[in-house]
Amino acid sequence: MTTNDHDELTHPRGTQSIDFSMVLASAVHDMKNSLGMLLNSLDELRQEQTDTIGDSPRFNTLQYEAERMHNDLVQLLGIYRLGENNLSAHVEEHFVPDFLAQQMARHTPLLEGMGIELAIESDDINGFFDEDLLTGVLNNTINNAIRYTKSMIKLTAAMHNDFLVIGVEDDGDGYPENMQHNGTPSFKSLNFNSGSTSLGLFFASSVAQLHSNGDRHGYIKLHNDGRLGGGVFEIWLP
Amino acid sequence: MTEPTSNAIGANFGKLSYLVVDDFENFRLSMRQILRNCGADKIESVANASAAVQYCAYNHVDVVLCDYNLGEGKNGQHILEELRHKKLLKRSSLFLMVTAETSKEMVMGAREYQPDGYLTKPINRAMLEKRLGGLIAQRNALLPINREIDRENFPEAISLCLQTLPSQPRYKTWLMKTLADLYYQVGDFSHALKIHDDVLSQRDLSWARLGRGKILIANQNYDEAAATLKALVSQHPDYMEAYDLLAEALEKQGRPTQAQQILEKAAEHSPNALLRHKHLAVLASSNQDMPTASKAWRQTVSLGTYSIHDNSEHYLALGQSLSDLSEGDSSNEGTAHADEALTILRRMEKRFAGQENIKLRSRIVQSRVHAGQDRMNEAQNALDSVADELDPDLMPPEACLDYAKTLFRLGREADAKGLLNALALRCSDNPPLLQKIESLLDEPVGFRQKLQARSLNREGIKAFEAGNLEEAVTTFNRALDIVPSHASLNLNLVQVLMKQYQGTAGDRELLKRCEKCLEKLADLPEQHRQHRRLISLRKKLEGMMS
Repeated sequence: MTTNDHDELTHPRGTQSIDFSMVLASAVHDMKNSLGMLLNSLDELRQEQTDTIGDSPRFNTLQYEAERMHNDLVQLLGIYRLGENNLSAHVEEHFVPDFLAQQMARHTPLLEGMGIELAIESDDINGFFDEDLLTGVLNNTINNAIRYTKSMIKLTAAMHNDFLVIGVEDDGDGYPENMQHNGTPSFKSLNFNSGSTSLGLFFASSVAQLHSNGDRHGYIKLHNDGRLGGGVFEIWLP
Repeated sequence: MTEPTSNAIGANFGKLSYLVVDDFENFRLSMRQILRNCGADKIESVANASAAVQYCAYNHVDVVLCDYNLGEGKNGQHILEELRHKKLLKRSSLFLMVTAETSKEMVMGAREYQPDGYLTKPINRAMLEKRLGGLIAQRNALLPINREIDRENFPEAISLCLQTLPSQPRYKTWLMKTLADLYYQVGDFSHALKIHDDVLSQRDLSWARLGRGKILIANQNYDEAAATLKALVSQHPDYMEAYDLLAEALEKQGRPTQAQQILEKAAEHSPNALLRHKHLAVLASSNQDMPTASKAWRQTVSLGTYSIHDNSEHYLALGQSLSDLSEGDSSNEGTAHADEALTILRRMEKRFAGQENIKLRSRIVQSRVHAGQDRMNEAQNALDSVADELDPDLMPPEACLDYAKTLFRLGREADAKGLLNALALRCSDNPPLLQKIESLLDEPVGFRQKLQARSLNREGIKAFEAGNLEEAVTTFNRALDIVPSHASLNLNLVQVLMKQYQGTAGDRELLKRCEKCLEKLADLPEQHRQHRRLISLRKKLEGMMS
């Protein structure tokens, strides 16, 4: 795993007035680091206490929720930098199966604890993308899938119409009708009342947009037509 | 359908030797355990930087897993720089930076040595196995190439890269980057350029555009380089290396002010990059922007505390720019700058006590600082404390130059000029130094006066070009009040006066004033850039007077 969030803030110099979003971002950064330490301890605890913790649902919840918060904060920082116009995609060529295997590895202890199967189905292809940004997107999407799946999650990758399509599928109930679309959710359409802010989708879609090749840009697609029967998240990269 | 990393990974892990660097014992133990579970056997762990460097000095290490944050003192980046700089770690060895917080500040801090990979805490076994396993597989596949690079056998490394390219599509980016870099190293710019152009013809990748900019600079195609890099920076405002190169291109284009602005922006984004701050400091000093220069030198000095790049020159330069800043400024700010300069110089004497001439260099500047604060006794005392070393024939040229500057401040102009003339004779084969001597002789004043005189000079030229001769004369005279011996300023004035003479019905007074200007330059040495101009104007004047 490489760095998955470009998030350090530059310090304002000589400005006296309080820039609230800046203050907020600093606080988020701090919280994110604390959670990182917490997650580290949880991982170690799981290793040390395999016998007693094993598949304890409460321990799994603890780890899952901490992971979720961590992801949210990483995305908040990403969105902050997006707003500051300080986020760009550093596209390089990567061997896709290797990349997906690394993404999977991060979630292995929790998935084992929860008894969820995780598989990779990828062609042997090279793809062009910003590794760090995509890691952020996939962390969040996999985390989301963990929440809704019954027993299995699958990472897929293939070329379609000259786009690299990376997908995350699960065997849960799938996305509700109103969420299935392809395109860009705008920030205004986020519904804070429904409990799901779709922050993750907004971030994913922004990251997809940052990827371009000539005049083609990336986008995301949500549907329920996967082979596992649940929801399918796809990020299409030109 | 793939199982991406081979099943033989256990064997891969087992063959290599590891060093774990972390200040927490718990983490060292758990890392050791994870490595063991992956099949590793030769594992050593240490708690701090000096132990890590020490270990690598006497043992072969294939993989270093180093925590970035090691508490007080050196951090992971310092260790990486020291290991690579002292060549205690081969190119074929892997250095992985372990970070609890992946901070951009840190990642972008490095200007040269970068780690082979990052590991983000929390680290579990599956992650390490995949990440490190992948890097080890890559290392093994590329080992023959890296071995030749370690031996500096670049032509062989190039042909190995070319051979490997078709068979290892997985490492294509690495191979292309390395190949381009190798061509660059051996000076084959056209092949290096072709690699980047080929990559770019397929896809717009920022690393290839950066590489292209670098080659264009090497080819002295500064305009195209600057244009390429400007576009890159505007598209990728977080790509620090692009800023460095853009600044270089602008500098070579003769646009030092723009170059400085670019570096200021980059330094703000990456507050930990010592070499970047140093570059900015040097540039700002030559732009006579002393506040910025002082700030950047201050940063360079403080980042040097634990760095392999630490150098007494940074302290000296900080002392010098603070001295410039404080000169003749008795406000609170001025005295604060003077005090800071003295503190820094004293610290330099202690920190680099064994270094030759260190006390001499320090006291020369200290004396100037005192003089700038009107403390003439202290200024003299500072020089007296190194009296036995103040021998113009034995001092290194740079120290001589600095000494002359101090002598000017102490009002000992004749001594200063004598010293500089002797130095020019001694170093007649050193054009950059001669230029510095000329500049000092031209402008033996503080930077504020220098800037004022320069801007007056520009105004005068503008007035002359617009045909306002009277205004040009007044302006050049005002500039000469500040720097009376400035060669090109005096010659500028002569030219305007001659033109005025031609326009009037032979006002001999004007020619006399020309004569006076030229007299001031009577002892202008032959190698001076303005010497030929002086001779031709002198002849012209003689013609007009006869």
